[in-house]
Amino acid sequence: MDEKAQKTIAGVLDKRMNRQLLYYLDICTRCSICKDACHQYVTTGDVLYLPAYRAEIIRRVYKKYFTRSGKFYPALSEGSEVDEKLLDELYKTTYACTGCRRCMYYCPFSIDTTWFMAVAKAMLITAGRGSQILAELAGAAVIKGESIDLFKDIIIEMLKDTEKELQERVGNPKANIPIDKKGADLLYVALAGTHTILPAAVIFHQAKANWTLSMFEAANYGYFLGDVKQAVAIAKRIIDEARSLEVKEIVITECGHAYRVMQFLYEAWAKEKLPFKIRGIVELMAEYIKQGKINLTQDKIKEPLTYHDPCQVGRNAGFYEEPRYIINQVAADFREMTPNREKNWCCGGGGGLVAQPDLDDFRIKTGEIKVEQIKKTGARIVVSPCENCRLQLDSLNEKYNMGIQITSIMDLVANAITI
Amino acid sequence: MAEDLKVDLELDLKGLLCPLPMVRVSQNITKVPVGGIIRAVATDLGSLADIPSWARTTGNEVVKTERVDKEIIFYVKRLK
Ligand code: SF4
Ligand code: SF4
Repeated sequence: MDEKAQKTIAGVLDKRMNRQLLYYLDICTRCSICKDACHQYVTTGDVLYLPAYRAEIIRRVYKKYFTRSGKFYPALSEGSEVDEKLLDELYKTTYACTGCRRCMYYCPFSIDTTWFMAVAKAMLITAGRGSQILAELAGAAVIKGESIDLFKDIIIEMLKDTEKELQERVGNPKANIPIDKKGADLLYVALAGTHTILPAAVIFHQAKANWTLSMFEAANYGYFLGDVKQAVAIAKRIIDEARSLEVKEIVITECGHAYRVMQFLYEAWAKEKLPFKIRGIVELMAEYIKQGKINLTQDKIKEPLTYHDPCQVGRNAGFYEEPRYIINQVAADFREMTPNREKNWCCGGGGGLVAQPDLDDFRIKTGEIKVEQIKKTGARIVVSPCENCRLQLDSLNEKYNMGIQITSIMDLVANAITI
Repeated sequence: MAEDLKVDLELDLKGLLCPLPMVRVSQNITKVPVGGIIRAVATDLGSLADIPSWARTTGNEVVKTERVDKEIIFYVKRLK
């Protein structure tokens, strides 16, 4: 790699530098507390996955290119040159991180490893070394946004069968799944496919909600890729749709990262203030139940059931009580995992790992702790309001022969609704 | 017609949810020669828009899509 390319890649770090990142670079005492917090280090023992080491790779680049000692006394500076070896290491450690932030929770200085990972991804993309599959998935979402007229008929066709199922479920031949409904109160953003549309439609129908379904899926692979431009473009498809339909709020399906992108990241990235509210569907379902807008059967699920706090919903967004409130309405034997809430272990599938086949074995291995946590509860049903978590839990269920059922909160509620 | 298409690789994507159908096609596209065709059978309706979008973003082509009951059959041609 020539010097110019090295400086361009290292320059990304300079552009991203701010007080927070400088503080993180400076303050780490190498106490290693974070090593026991990261499921990836605990299950592999590989230093590459130690949170403080992930940051250390970036710190070395900083020392090499942006400190006096790095520039003038390189041998003494502990700095590292940007070369193929460093990029290989950076790729492995960065795209494997699930962004669960458990390390940050336990770090005495609250050092947020995901900030380093965001910089690392930007450096890798600049070097042409970003994750190819995540780039393809993000690209596909952008293309879908640009050519939605081409796909509209396909989506309408897809919804016909789902609408029939809805009508059967609620016993009303007029029940429908509205799309493009101007003046609806809420725009519901589901995932690709129909599995997150039908249960939501049942719930909205019973709550007599004035809703409309988004043409776009909630998932944002631009975010996982670490490409802010793509992430904004993907989210903006939904924002523009909400604007043109003049809805009052956007309701995101049970998908942790999609909710975080819309609720916490989009405004800062796009530098625009959104004129509507963003909510997750779990919050809305809890409200419907509390307000008596939907009624649930008193015949509660008897099988033991546990709840997995998705990192992006719990630790990273602060929703702990709403899911538990709903679960307690529908399940007679709810058992908490230990630890839970902000201390919960990551399932190992977040951060886009479920979409990266080269990490399949790694995520199964690093899901070991979650498997043990679930087994200890004796639960037969595991509920989680995040698609990435559910896909990972499905894989763990299969690979570790757990014999459990994995479900969403929406499905629990839709099945418990009294029609 | 599908019968005219010479299929180089069959992929069973039934039961897989998004993004896995796209991921599996992406993973396998280089296993067929340029000009070769993957026949992928999916059940996730989301793949109806996702796989053609993936093909366009990667410079490949969905040359035919069929629906047989709940199955969606894609014929994806590797173009590069
Ligand atoms: S964010 Fe999670 S996966 Fe990443 S280093 Fe921290 S604990 Fe490990
Ligand atoms: S816990 Fe915090 S301060 Fe301690 S080594 Fe890890 S990142 Fe550094």
